[in-house]
This record gives sequence, structure tokens and C-alpha cells, in this order.
Amino acid sequence: MDRSAPDFRLLKTRQKARRAAWLAELGKSGGGMTRIAGTVLTLESVAAIGFAAALAYGLTALPRGLPAAAPWLVLGVVSATVRGGCGFLSARTGAEAARRAKSILRDRMTRHSLALPLSQRPETGALMTAAIDRVETLDGYIARFLPAKAAVSGLFLVLVATAVASPVGAAILAATLLPFIFLMILAGTAAADQAAAQFQAMMRLGAVFADRIRALPLILAFQAEAAETSRLAQAAGDLKRRTMAVLRIAFISSAGLEFFAALAVALVAVYCGFNLLGLAPEFVQPFHFGHLDLARAFFILALAPEFYLPMRRLAATYHDRQSAETAADGLMAIAAQAPPAAAAPLALQAAPRIRFDHVMLRYPGHDHAVLDAFTLDIAPGQTVALLGPSGAGKTSILNLLLGLVEPTQGRVFIDDHALGPLATVAGSVGWVGQSPLITAGTLAENIALARPDATGTEILLAAREAGLSAMLATRAQGLQTDIDERGSGLSGGERQRVALARFFLNPAPLLLLDEPTAHVDAAAEEALVASIAKAAQGRTTLIATHSPRLAAIADRIVRLEAE
Amino acid sequence: MTVLSQLIAAEKKAQRGWLAIACLASMAVAAGSVALLGVSGWFITASALAGLAGPLAAGAFNYLLPAAIIRLCAILRTGGRYAERVIGHDAALGALARLRPKIFAGIMAAPVKFALGLSVGDASSRMVQDVDLLEARFVRIPVPWGLAVGVLTGMVILVPAGIAPALATLAILGITIGCGWLLACLSAEAGRNVQRVTARLKDRYATLVSSASELRAYGLENWAAQEIARESEALLKAQKQLTAWGGWFALLQATAAGLAAMLAMALSAHQFLPLAAMAALGAAMTVDCAGPFLRGLEAQGGWAEAAHRLERLLEAPTVSTGIAVRPAERPEIRFLRFGAVLVPGSVTGLTGRSGIGKTTILEKLVGLRHDDDVTILLDRWSLPVIDPADLRRAFAYAPQDAAMLAGSVRDNLRLAAGEATDDLLWQALEDAALADTIRALPQGLDTWIGENGAVLSGGERRRLSLARAYLRAAPWLLLDEPTAGLDQATEQRVVERLRARLAASGQGAIIVSHRPAPLALCTALITLHESGAEVLGQSAEGPSRLGGHSLHISPAV
Repeated sequence: MDRSAPDFRLLKTRQKARRAAWLAELGKSGGGMTRIAGTVLTLESVAAIGFAAALAYGLTALPRGLPAAAPWLVLGVVSATVRGGCGFLSARTGAEAARRAKSILRDRMTRHSLALPLSQRPETGALMTAAIDRVETLDGYIARFLPAKAAVSGLFLVLVATAVASPVGAAILAATLLPFIFLMILAGTAAADQAAAQFQAMMRLGAVFADRIRALPLILAFQAEAAETSRLAQAAGDLKRRTMAVLRIAFISSAGLEFFAALAVALVAVYCGFNLLGLAPEFVQPFHFGHLDLARAFFILALAPEFYLPMRRLAATYHDRQSAETAADGLMAIAAQAPPAAAAPLALQAAPRIRFDHVMLRYPGHDHAVLDAFTLDIAPGQTVALLGPSGAGKTSILNLLLGLVEPTQGRVFIDDHALGPLATVAGSVGWVGQSPLITAGTLAENIALARPDATGTEILLAAREAGLSAMLATRAQGLQTDIDERGSGLSGGERQRVALARFFLNPAPLLLLDEPTAHVDAAAEEALVASIAKAAQGRTTLIATHSPRLAAIADRIVRLEAE
Repeated sequence: MTVLSQLIAAEKKAQRGWLAIACLASMAVAAGSVALLGVSGWFITASALAGLAGPLAAGAFNYLLPAAIIRLCAILRTGGRYAERVIGHDAALGALARLRPKIFAGIMAAPVKFALGLSVGDASSRMVQDVDLLEARFVRIPVPWGLAVGVLTGMVILVPAGIAPALATLAILGITIGCGWLLACLSAEAGRNVQRVTARLKDRYATLVSSASELRAYGLENWAAQEIARESEALLKAQKQLTAWGGWFALLQATAAGLAAMLAMALSAHQFLPLAAMAALGAAMTVDCAGPFLRGLEAQGGWAEAAHRLERLLEAPTVSTGIAVRPAERPEIRFLRFGAVLVPGSVTGLTGRSGIGKTTILEKLVGLRHDDDVTILLDRWSLPVIDPADLRRAFAYAPQDAAMLAGSVRDNLRLAAGEATDDLLWQALEDAALADTIRALPQGLDTWIGENGAVLSGGERRRLSLARAYLRAAPWLLLDEPTAGLDQATEQRVVERLRARLAASGQGAIIVSHRPAPLALCTALITLHESGAEVLGQSAEGPSRLGGHSLHISPAV
């Protein structure tokens, strides 16, 4: 027990270091845009100095008449506009940096997710949240936080300008900065722990809510609405308390900011006032370049609030950093999953022999194996129907052949090649599932997914072979009929036929079908079975199905028992 | 008035006192900020003039009062800001903590078609993130008050320098707010666009990533990644535009403040110098006061969208059949299509190949399907006309997927009987042949079983689901594949105890199964086919096969 605490701390430190490295890498992927955004924001401080000078020297020129003050007034307006322009440019370049970084990251996440074996792949919903929502939460970090961080150096520009006008004024500002930074560190340390607790409470609320939505049928069936609502109220109340704890600390530190900013203005004003009155203590006199005149006094007064601006800006974007850290943890967890090895596809020339040799398959986190010592030898060209209740491993057998899952034990052979990282049959398999992939586009484009270079005639032939002729005859635009993402307007049978047409367009020597008639009515099933029988000719075919009618076309039936 | 705005209005009313204090604090901040710089400017300039006039004038100059005002303003600004934030957020977060359960309750009261059709991720992000966005709206309630007082203070400072600088500042402020409003309208459209393209990207992403087999078979993974990247570009562009709108607000605010200061200075050129100084700084700060207000305008698009999404969640029509029918305490179940009447206390088996619709029948009975099926009656009434609450009262359901809440064993059992004692819980576990397993767990009933019971094996989960159904005092048990995944010995124990339990409680049951052991409990068997059903059973008159009339399936005598 006494050892575990330091270990835990070590892990936390490591995680922090990894996260910092990850975020630094991310920041770099914004390219030069992040640097530009930061530089432009630093220049804002220069414009602020110009504005303060315009105020001070414009005012002192005022007694000499408006024409004398006019150049300063113009400088003031120009400085203010430049200042706004800096903010404008920084927002734009920051947004562009964020766009670039997110684009690279999202593409990486997508490719990684698509390549992960199904057994390791988190649920689609979780992957989607990661690749879309989590990546989006990095926006503020790159677009605002990083430039604001780079622009903190602007306060030194202001300090130097103040020192030129009045070293004592600069000393007052610098003196208020020290306790301010001390306070920030203090509040920041406390806030980090509180923020972690708050984040957990938020996750808990999200998890409770997601769980109860998922289990809604249960809650409704057992009429437990009131009890679950009060449980949710509890989680929400907990989140509120923890959020307030974080906010109190955040507000203390921003009150500290406010206080020192206000104090700096007040101290500078009082010091300048006394000095101008000639009431300043003797010992500060030698630090002036001559007597502090009104222009310089006014200049440092106008500059005092600017001194704190970069820090306040950074504090305002601090939550961007916190949400980026959270998102980074989630994204890193997915990226850390075993990087899939690039598999070399086997080019199958003729219908292959398939052999499952004592294959055991157990999904991580499950206590029993889906397949145990599963052995099956399929001769080239044979059609095999896999029957059995749901959960007996029918789909898993097909996924083993596709290399989407890897056997826990045992091996799968195609002809004489053992499947594995070095050999898959991806690209030389035909596939018809329960709910074929339909994408927005024409019918022809949907079929041509199997072979993008196919000619119109080839597509038409494939469609006919798959039994789509009758359906095409009823559409004015035939194969050019537009289909939306959800495949509206296509019946269940027609979707299956589109999948079958894909196979006919790219007739592979191995055909896998996963409950192809599950969502099809009896009449459509009969017609579809005939087309499937035609497709199966001359290929090694595996059909997972519940339908006796479909199983009847097989040369061989394999029954799987659920454990 | 929408349901959401009613809820928000009620919360505002409940928090009125605290919100008023937050508003006062916000006013103090604004007054303090404007006065701090204005008075400082006056003070320095007046000191300089007094200093120039010689030691006598300097000695007569009252520096104590302005110095005190400056310090007071600094404290007022800091303290006010802190109070405004803490009080405002506390009130807002409290309101939202109450809003969340209300939204959840609203979802549960909606028709099942709507409630069960919600995507888990979507619904929970509305509940967590969208409600968070509403918080920002609550927090901004004091902002207009602060602005008003800031402007008022600004006028007090500017008017001594003349009406012209005061009016000029007001004009610039007005134009700034007008431009801000215009920008807000434009950026709101950008915000809506982000929502739209996000939804499209998510659809595309879900479709492609869940078609793993097809992508692998045809080697389409690269194509899928490119498709996703193409939709993603649209989102990235939309989000970039939205982020970039922030730049316009920065430009507007800085330019306006600078312009106001210079204009106020120019217009008070003929004035006593300290007044001109006060006017210049006061004008800049007055316009600066509009900052929080402008930021509020900028965020408004996001709030409106969030509110809109939440409203859709809340405003699904609540269930009301309009007809007051109430089935008897122990109703009978009639299947008009199969010609079978299930008398209270009878035990019927339901069988047929998978996918034929056995589970659907149970789900219709429990009111978990939106359906106009009028061929199933509870007493004399068809299911669609019965209030779901009355319908559900008649059934204790052990679903096929043996779904579990993320929680402890006790949480899951208590779902069926909130007030049940531990003795009752153990008795139900005993009857489901699970008591020994749970007793062996380190924390017994308090063991956390993970999301959807992930810690338990399939068989254990199924028996826990059975125990839960046993705990609900309903006239009918609906058991969907109660012994699937159990070994023979366990199955036998489960079936024997179920037999004893049914005999003792007099409950009726419908048991969906493929297996002989549980079906052996049944006095009647309904076998579903593609073309209809075959009913075999024990009626009050003895064993019989369905003829021209309905078969009344009664409890075994």
C-alpha cells in the first residue's frame, strides 16, 4: 500500500509530460500561423503605447490650440485602429492555425480508428466523439490560448516604455507584478486539483445521463422514472458544487488580477499627482530624467492598465487550455491502442481453400470465448452455410477471414497462407451484409465503390446480374438515380442487391455473406436467394444466416452452438 | 412561451434575490472602472497645474479627496467583480442543476418513439454541453445593468467638460452596440452553419466507420478516410469562420474606445485642462464598458442554438390517449390474431424462429413500441388506447438483452422495487439461482457491476435480470429467453424455482424461449410462423388444439 501512492504520482507526472509533449506537437502543426497570431498580438502592446502617448501629448498640446494637438489626436485614432487590427488579424490567423492543426489531427484519428481491429475498437459513438467533438474542443487552445501565451511578452514592452518615461512608475508596476504572479501560481495549483474533481463530476453526470438514456426501456418498463430523476438531480447537484469550488478559485485569481491592475493605476496616479505637486519624497527625485512633467505622468497613467492586459488575456483563455488537456487525454488513449500493422494483401486468383485450425476467439473484457477450438476445412468452390443462434460466432468467423479480428489462439489459412499481419485477403473478397453501406450519390456510384474504374456498361451488367433490372426499369434515371445517405427509396431487398451488384462488378474468388436476408420479406428473400446462388457459383462462399431457405443453397451446413 | 423559457423564467424568479445582488455588484464594477481612470486623469492634470502655479497653490490643493476616491474605486471594482461572479455563477449553476433533471423527466414522459429514438451521444451532449451554454446566458443577466451604470457614470464625468463630448461618446457607444448587434446576427449564422455541418459529418462518420466489413472487403478504408476528410473540411471551414468573427469584435471595440477618447479630447479643447483629461479617459472607459455586453451579443448565436436543441428535446408531445380506460388489477391478455386468451395466472410459452417477432410482442405489451397494433388487448382495450403507465403496471419484464444500469447490484434490483428490504432482494436472487454468486462477491449487493453489467458474465446478467423482474409485484411476468446462456444444471435450478415462485405468487407469465426446460413450465404454447401462429394448450376444458373459437388459456389446475 505504502508504495502505491508515489507510483501513482509518478504515473500522473508521466501522463502530464506526455500530454504536454502531445499538445506541443499539436501546436506546431498549426504551422507558422500560430507564430504570426502571437506576434501580431504582441504588437498590440506597441499600439497601446502609441495610444497612451497620443493621449498624453495630445492633452498637453491642447492649451496651444486644436491644430497643435491634431497630429497627436490622429496618432491616437490610428493607434487604436492598429490595435483593433492586431486583435482582428490575430483572431484570423489563430483560426487558420486551428483549422490546420485540427485537420491533420482528425485525419490521423480517422485513419487510426478505421485500421483498429474490431476487438479493440471502441464503440462507433465513442470514436465519433473523439474524432469530431474532442478535436473541435482544441480550437480555442490553438486559436486563442497559444497566441495569448506568446503575447505575454508584450507586458515587457509596456514596462520598458514606462521606464523610459518614469523609472519609479515602472518600479511600481513591476512591484505589483510580483505578488500578482505569486497569487496566480497559488491559485493555479489549487485550481488544478479542483478542476480535476470538477471534470470527474462532469464526466459522471454525462455518463449517468448516457447510461440512463441507453437503459431507458428498462426505466420505463419498471416505472422508475422518479427514482432515476432524483439520482440525476444528485449528480447534477454534485457537479454544481464542484464547479463552484473551481470557479471560486478562478474568481479569486481574477480578482487578484483586477486588484493589482486597479492598484497599479491608483498607485501610479497618486505617485504622479504628488510628484507634480512637488510633494514627492526627496529620495525618488534622482530617478527622474529631470522633473516628471504632465505629459510623461499622463503617459504612464494611461499605460498602467495596459501592463496587465496580456496576463488578463491569458487568464481569459485559460479554460481553453484546460479543455484541451482533457481532450488530449481522451485522444491519446485512443491513439495509444496497438498501432495496426500494415497488412500485405494476398491476391487470390482462384476460389481458395479455407481452413480454421483450432481457432479460439475471445474479445478483451469478455469472460467467455466466442469461438473455442473451432476447426473447419472448406474445399475450393464450396458454399458453406453457418447456422446458429445470435452470439454463436457466425459474424466473428467472417471477420476473422477479413482480418478485422485476430484469433486469440489457433490459425486461419487461406490456401496455404496463414492469415495475419503479413497476409490478408482485403480487396479480393466479395461482401454482402445485413445493412449494406449506402453513400450519397447515384446508384451507379454506389455500385462502383467495388471498382471505381468500372465503365457504365460494366456497372449495368453487374446490376442486371444482381437482379436490379426490374427496379431500374421503374426509375426514370436508371442507374443515375440519386440516392441519399440513408438510402431512402431503396427497399431492404434492393439494398442487398446493390451490395450484390458490387460483388458482380468485382467478382472475387471468395464471397462472404452476413445474414443478407435478415431485413427482407419472404417474397424478396426468395428472389434474392436465387441471385446469391448464382453469385456463389465457382467461388468459395460462406453464408452466415438464420434463414433455412438461404441455407438450402449451401453444399454444407455448419451449426454453431451458443455457449 | 416555450417550455424551456418557462423553466428558465421560473428559475430566474426563484433566484431573484441573488440575481439582484449580482446586478448591484455589476453596477459597482462599471461605476468603479469608469470613475477610476477619469478621476485619475483629472487628479494628475490638476496636480500638475497646481504644481506649476507654485508651492502656495500646491499646498492649498486638496489631494486627499481625489486620492481617496481613486483608492475607493479600485476596491469597488475588484470587490464588485468578485461578488458579481461568485453570486451570479452560483445562482446560474443552481438553476441549471435543477433544469437538468427536469429535462430528463421530460424525455421520459415523451412518447416512446421519440424517447427511445434518441441517440445516446446526442442526448447526453445536449444535457451536458447545451445546458452549460445556457449557464452563460444566466450569468450575463447583470451585464446590461452594469452597462447602464457605466454609461451613467461616464456622463457624470463627461458633462462637466461639455455636452458635446458627452453626446459624441454616447453616439459612438450607440454605433458600437449597433455594429455589435449586426456582427452578432452574422456570426449566429456562422454558428448555425457549424451545427449543420457537424451533424452531417457525424452522420457520415457513423455510417462509414460502422461499415468495417465492407470497407475491408473491397479495400475501401482509404476512400472512407478521404470521404470523412472531405466532410471534415466543411466543418473546419465553418468553425474557422465562426472563430474569425471574434476578430471583428476586437476591431470594433478597440477602434471605438480610441475614437471616443480622441473625440472627447478634441471637443473639450477649450475647457479647463483637468476636465479635458477626465473627459478623454472617461470616454474611453465608457465605451470599454460595452465589452461584456458585446461579448454577450457575440455568444448569443450559440445560446440560441443550444436553447433550440433543448426545446426540441423538451417539447415532444406528452403521452395522452385521451380515453380514460383502466384495465383490471389482474387483466387478461387477448391475442386476436392468434385467437388466444391468456387468463390471469396462466403460463404461456412463445416460440418461433429468430426474427419472427416474439420480442416485439413483449415490447408492445410493456409499451416500449410505438405501434398502432390493435390486435392485442388487455382486458377489453387494445394496447394503443391504454395509458402507458397503466399498461406497464401489469408487467414485470426481463428483456432479451438483460440490460443493466451502470450501478451496483442493489441499484439494479431496486429499479424494480425502490423500497425493498435486503431480505426481499436476497430472496429474489435465491429464486434466480444467483444468491451464492453475489454473496461471494467482495462487496455483495454493493458490488459495482460496470456499464451494462460488464463485470458479470452473460449468464449472471441474465439471472440478475430475472431476479429484478421477480421483485416487481405485477400480475404478469414477461421473460424473454430467461435461460439463454445458462448451463443445464443452472437452467434446471432456475426453472424449478420459477415454477415454485409462480405457484406461490399466482402470477401469470409469458416465456419466450427456444429451449425445452422453460417451455415445460407452460400450460400453452404459441408458435409463430411467417404466415401466422399455432396455438397449443391446456384450456379449462382440458388439452385442446385451436379450432374455430379462441382458446382460453387458464392456469394449470
